[in-house]
Amino acid sequence: MYPIVLLSFFGIVTLFLGFSKSKNILLPATLLFLIIALAGNFLEWNKGPLLYFYDMLRVDNVTLAFNGIILLSAFMIFAISGGFQDNPDSEPAEYFGLMLFSLVGALMMVGFQHLIMLFIGVEILSVAMYVLTGSNKRNLRSNEAALKYFLMGAFATGFMLFGITLLYGATGSFKLEQIQGFASNMQVGSESYILYAGLLLLLIGMLFKVSAAPFHFWTPDVYEGAPTIFTTFMSTVVKTAGFAALFRLLSGSFTGVYGFWWIVIAAIAVLTLLVGNIGATSQNSFKRMLAYSGISHAGYLLIALTALSKPSQNAIIFYSLAYSLSTICAFGVLMLVSKEKTIGGQPNEYYDAFNGLAKQNPLLAFVLTVSMLSLAGIPLTAGFWGKFFIFTSAAERGIIWITVIAVLMSTVGIYYYFRVIISSYLKEGDLVKIRVAPFYKVILVLATFLTILFGLAPGIFEGLI
Amino acid sequence: MEVAAFYGFSALAILAALFILFSKNLIYGAFALLLAFLGIAALFVLAGADFLGVAQIMIYVGGILVLLMFGIMLTQRAIQQEGPSRHNRVEVPITRKVWGFVIGIGIVGVLAKIIFSANFRMSGDAVSRKSTIKTIGVELMTSHLLPFEIAAILLLVALIGAAYLALNRNPAQ
Repeated sequence: MYPIVLLSFFGIVTLFLGFSKSKNILLPATLLFLIIALAGNFLEWNKGPLLYFYDMLRVDNVTLAFNGIILLSAFMIFAISGGFQDNPDSEPAEYFGLMLFSLVGALMMVGFQHLIMLFIGVEILSVAMYVLTGSNKRNLRSNEAALKYFLMGAFATGFMLFGITLLYGATGSFKLEQIQGFASNMQVGSESYILYAGLLLLLIGMLFKVSAAPFHFWTPDVYEGAPTIFTTFMSTVVKTAGFAALFRLLSGSFTGVYGFWWIVIAAIAVLTLLVGNIGATSQNSFKRMLAYSGISHAGYLLIALTALSKPSQNAIIFYSLAYSLSTICAFGVLMLVSKEKTIGGQPNEYYDAFNGLAKQNPLLAFVLTVSMLSLAGIPLTAGFWGKFFIFTSAAERGIIWITVIAVLMSTVGIYYYFRVIISSYLKEGDLVKIRVAPFYKVILVLATFLTILFGLAPGIFEGLI
Repeated sequence: MEVAAFYGFSALAILAALFILFSKNLIYGAFALLLAFLGIAALFVLAGADFLGVAQIMIYVGGILVLLMFGIMLTQRAIQQEGPSRHNRVEVPITRKVWGFVIGIGIVGVLAKIIFSANFRMSGDAVSRKSTIKTIGVELMTSHLLPFEIAAILLLVALIGAAYLALNRNPAQ
């Protein structure tokens, strides 16, 4: 609750800070704002389930854990943005303001207890992301990405809204608890098809936002066209918030009709895994590969949703954290390396940009390697345990076949994740020593350290939630 | 009387919507859209949702339709060779007619099945035929205060975004 109010206020303050001549104050100020929001978030830890504003928001430890992941990822992304000082065309106050507001939307998606809150949260997050995607106004790719994202996103929002109205028609309420009450009391033989239709349309809208197949078409173009720093934001914060919202929706309202939706989600999970992993193998651009990898990770998280149990809740939280940390590392290194060589005025984001990285920049190569290993799910990294928890939660539900497909697909993943490691260690290249700002280095090392720490001791937070 | 009005306005909305579908002229389509919006606003009023009817006219007819007209006029391309009747024409080649037909009929069938089998529930008691504006205002300021306030953030984000994307601070260009 506190972070939503605080960040709304801080966003406006950030816009006013933009009036000052010197833009140097913006970065420390926003980082301070995020730390305050994080502290405010954990003030309510273990206070039990709290409901705010006539049951609009629910705060419990699960909400707070998701909020913590979102705010921590946002802190790291803000820190490695360096205040956008290297680009004279940029408007840091607007960027930071929009990102702080979009965090408000993300936190609403995590804690909603009323479908209007979900809708407004999704819209705040999406509108801010449309603008940030097109923020590089001189780059045609960025403009194209923003337009594509906006048109497809508006379409998905229409589906979602239609679904919400049908659910209201079926149950007479927007509140999760009352929908839950209606869905679990449905008699066999007199099922409400309008509830099923509403649920399906709402799921389509949400699955679009987390880029699950077959609603993934926008993802590679948008991730590639957007400035890398905003791609990082999109693939960590937006994805975590989307899965938190899906989890809350399904576990809070629709456990009564589990038999209807689990097979839908399972089919979409399998399709997403296939599209994401097989699509990623044929890419030559590292950034585009990460976009497909984002699709495939959405598939793994959907498996945890099909299981929908207490372990799968913890699995989603752990996986989101592990995925966010590794993705921030990967994009962080990409941002540094791609600036060294340019193709046609744009940063070189192909695999060959990494050739010979390890010779002069052993730290960057190490950070990149750990993040790739974690994304691929190799033991001793956080990503391995994330996948392990998800697969066990599915197995406990008795859904073995989906686990088999997921394991097969994660071996495909090793191929494309290792390509960049091979480039940076084994291939010859003429990369010189890259200058890294000290704070940037601290963030990368911290994320890598956490990835290894969770890989060695995955049970650190066990029993807390 | 009410039944006749209901069917009359429904027919207006549906016929206007069909006209948009089959018309090849964008301006005609936009004017038909006006009729469709008016028909739907009238249906809202008939259903006792007077505020929704007024909002529909103000937002869609007053705002969105005018914006649409400006959009059409500003993006018009002069066609020299052909006569003025060729202006504003939408040329969309229709391919895969069979599949389109199958999918369209399928969606209509599913939606019809859902709507006819729906057992709509009333939320609360039936509203008496007074104005709904007072109730909406009270609800917005009490039980729905948080979404009402947070919607301001959404509008602010949209405003900043539009201003940022439209602004050109580089004097050289």
